[in-house]
Amino acid sequence: MNRTRLFYPLGVLLLLSAGPLDALARIKLTTLPVRERVQIHLDHPQATLVEEERIVPLVKGVNQVDFSWANTRIDPDTLVLRMLPPPADQPLDAKVLSVSYPPNENALIWSVSASASGAARVRISYVLGGLSKDFHYRAVADRDEKTLELAQYLRVNNHANEAYDLARLQTGVGVGFDKPLGLNETREVQTHRFAGVPVRKTYTSDPVKFGYLDRAQDKLNVPMHYVIKNAGSPLGTAALPEGKARIFQDDGQGGSAFLGEDRGPFTPPDDELELYLGLARDIVVRRTIDRNERQRIAGNLYRYDVTVKYEIENFKDTPATLNIVESVRQIRDQIKGNPDRDPEWRLGDGTLRNPDPEKSDADQLLFHVDLPARPAGGPAPKQTQTLRLTLNNEW
Amino acid sequence: MTNRIACLLCLLLLPLALSARNVDLATVPERRTVQLTIYNSEDLTLVRESRVVTFKKGVNPLQFSWANTLIDPTSVELKFRTPQTGLEMLDTTFPHDKPQALYWSVQSDADREATIEISYFTSGISWAADYLAIADIDEKTLRLESFVRVTNLSGEDYESAQVRLVVGAINLVEKIAELAKLPVGRLDELKREEYKDLRQRAARKMMAPAAPAPMMAMEMAVGAAADMDAPKEIIKEGLSEYFIYTIEGTETVPNGWAKRLRSFEADAVPMGVEYRYRPREYGDQLTRLYLLKNDTASKLGSTPLPDGVIQIFRANATDGQAGLSYLATQHLQYVPMGDKIELNLGVDRLVVFEQVKQKVYRDNLWFQIKGGNLYRKLGEDGLKLELDSQVAGWDEHTVYRQRIRNYSPKPIHAQIRRDYAGDIVFRSQLNPTLHDFQTVQFEADIPAGGKAELDYAVIARMGYNQKQNRVELQNGEAGR
Repeated sequence: MNRTRLFYPLGVLLLLSAGPLDALARIKLTTLPVRERVQIHLDHPQATLVEEERIVPLVKGVNQVDFSWANTRIDPDTLVLRMLPPPADQPLDAKVLSVSYPPNENALIWSVSASASGAARVRISYVLGGLSKDFHYRAVADRDEKTLELAQYLRVNNHANEAYDLARLQTGVGVGFDKPLGLNETREVQTHRFAGVPVRKTYTSDPVKFGYLDRAQDKLNVPMHYVIKNAGSPLGTAALPEGKARIFQDDGQGGSAFLGEDRGPFTPPDDELELYLGLARDIVVRRTIDRNERQRIAGNLYRYDVTVKYEIENFKDTPATLNIVESVRQIRDQIKGNPDRDPEWRLGDGTLRNPDPEKSDADQLLFHVDLPARPAGGPAPKQTQTLRLTLNNEW
Repeated sequence: MTNRIACLLCLLLLPLALSARNVDLATVPERRTVQLTIYNSEDLTLVRESRVVTFKKGVNPLQFSWANTLIDPTSVELKFRTPQTGLEMLDTTFPHDKPQALYWSVQSDADREATIEISYFTSGISWAADYLAIADIDEKTLRLESFVRVTNLSGEDYESAQVRLVVGAINLVEKIAELAKLPVGRLDELKREEYKDLRQRAARKMMAPAAPAPMMAMEMAVGAAADMDAPKEIIKEGLSEYFIYTIEGTETVPNGWAKRLRSFEADAVPMGVEYRYRPREYGDQLTRLYLLKNDTASKLGSTPLPDGVIQIFRANATDGQAGLSYLATQHLQYVPMGDKIELNLGVDRLVVFEQVKQKVYRDNLWFQIKGGNLYRKLGEDGLKLELDSQVAGWDEHTVYRQRIRNYSPKPIHAQIRRDYAGDIVFRSQLNPTLHDFQTVQFEADIPAGGKAELDYAVIARMGYNQKQNRVELQNGEAGR
């Protein structure tokens, strides 16, 4: 069926014809109801829902409302037309009778029945591809790295080939806001600013996750992180969406110094957001397996006594806390191979005896070790920590 | 306009065997009525059309042709509606020089006008159901709308057709689209039995009650439109293992077009929300579901729900002014009347689901002595530390903590199923049940903003210790 069509990126045409669809093949008179209101819902992780309200003049009887979209990625299966309640003084009962889909066109035609002639407010919703969002953050730490100011930004990328003169953007985080969204435009808005957010700077040694700085010298990498707990004032009221965070520090001269950037994961309330700052060079950790003794219990059943030794130096002139992370499975695999069984272990009488109960489990152990500052003009004090493990029932 | 199917009354009253002629004169009786019965499980539509033809006394050649359509030539049948006597179909000829045509020789005992019915199977016309579900903001009730969409890619326009849709799966041994391409002369290549089976199964039309006369249906539609046109009703009737939906009145679906009509709508359908961890069904994630029932108590249940895509939304305010939130799109499997409906919404990121392995230990160790049939338990009196004895059996205890944190604004109910292979003891104080011999199920309610910590131990009897292949539930502390 050939039809005279008027195309523009997203169009709603009211065809003043109450005849069958065949009539569309001929000359037609159309009105072009403009958008009265647009809401763009960005709260779904994979899909963007657009809702637009238009006022459609209807005549009594059956009306054909033509919706077409050229060069936009509307999912036609998600298109919904809903009639909004009419004003009390202008009762107009309108119902969708059917939807027709013409061949080889990005269009559909709603047959709408109206009880009287008048204007009907309709809401058309559809899932639109090419309209995406991402969040990003800017964190500025104060001089002593105890608190920071965290700003959250939303960036909406409009590659949907459709412009919206004014749209209410709903992100699912906080209240929505009204912004125009032009073709191929990226619009960025600040959605939150959190001042005085407590921050913890951590130094970590974790051979499985972060590896060695110098394997021959048994020197571990010691990454630094800012840890922000999404709890307590001013945070903790909502999840922090994933996004890139740029991290700065107040330089004490009215400006700020760029410390690095990291991609933060989705962080629900009560969880910690860890932002990687780079490797610390002034805290040195050497890790060695100091002792490995095997004792036969019966037949091919053995017990292993293992001691892991850490020699730690803090060359900084400020105290710090070092997080020592160990995987018992990795230690067991290193000393006797991998039997494809979980290790059974107990802590021995090393210096590291009290793992963090919240962040330790059957395999991973986390210990916090306080490192005093290097004395002014003096050498860095070296401290030795030992982790003693008994691995039971190995064969 | 695409009308490729033609019924010609040839005015040359010559024997068809002698019809190698270049000049023909024919009249073209128009379709008076047409009825489409569309099956959604197969690419199959039964078309029944009626035409009025004037016959002369004697033998009348009647040509039926269907160029560039997808008709199964073996399925074309001719019947005489009125009058039912005085007319006889003598034979059917499939001419070699016209691939998509046939001739009927009709014997008439008088000059008369007759209404004939031609029926045939075609492919290229399909229908599918689809659904729209909008939950209210509290997620206590849901509005469910069901639609049927008829798509015509058959190559033929069907105007003012009565449309019937068959819900249910039928069996075909050959696809109609393939038969449409096969010359009739080669049909004997099909096995006789298969062919008979095909016809018998596909021709379940015989079971169908006679459709109301299309003219009557049109009148009904006109009557309904006197005040305001209402959406057409779709009448649902059960038939054997099938359901037939008959669309009120008639529909015109031109070739290449699709048309979607509302099948039913139900407001305020009661629903529940459940979070489920069932890795076999939903993958390794806690999945959020809307649960409802296709029964009369839920304002549904008058018809099974055919397979179809369902779009799921939630209203953001009671007055509808704040719009909708898009939740998910999924393929709904056929739902019999009275059965439950599960709508999978995926992961809720405001509910954190973590399993922590807290402790592992082994006991009840048994040794195989010198590779023989003698087994001894570690710790038994007199056990010698033989160098060539091997660990042959043990109990592996693993203590888990299942943490669920609910940051959503509503309390939630979570159901967890975990599968264990082997001889397993599941020890907990969670009041678990067995879903099957190797699947444990337990549940928890977590208030809005609250947390649950569910502790349990899994004791796997390994090697020589394994005597069974099933899970045993024990009530007790999870930890040692």
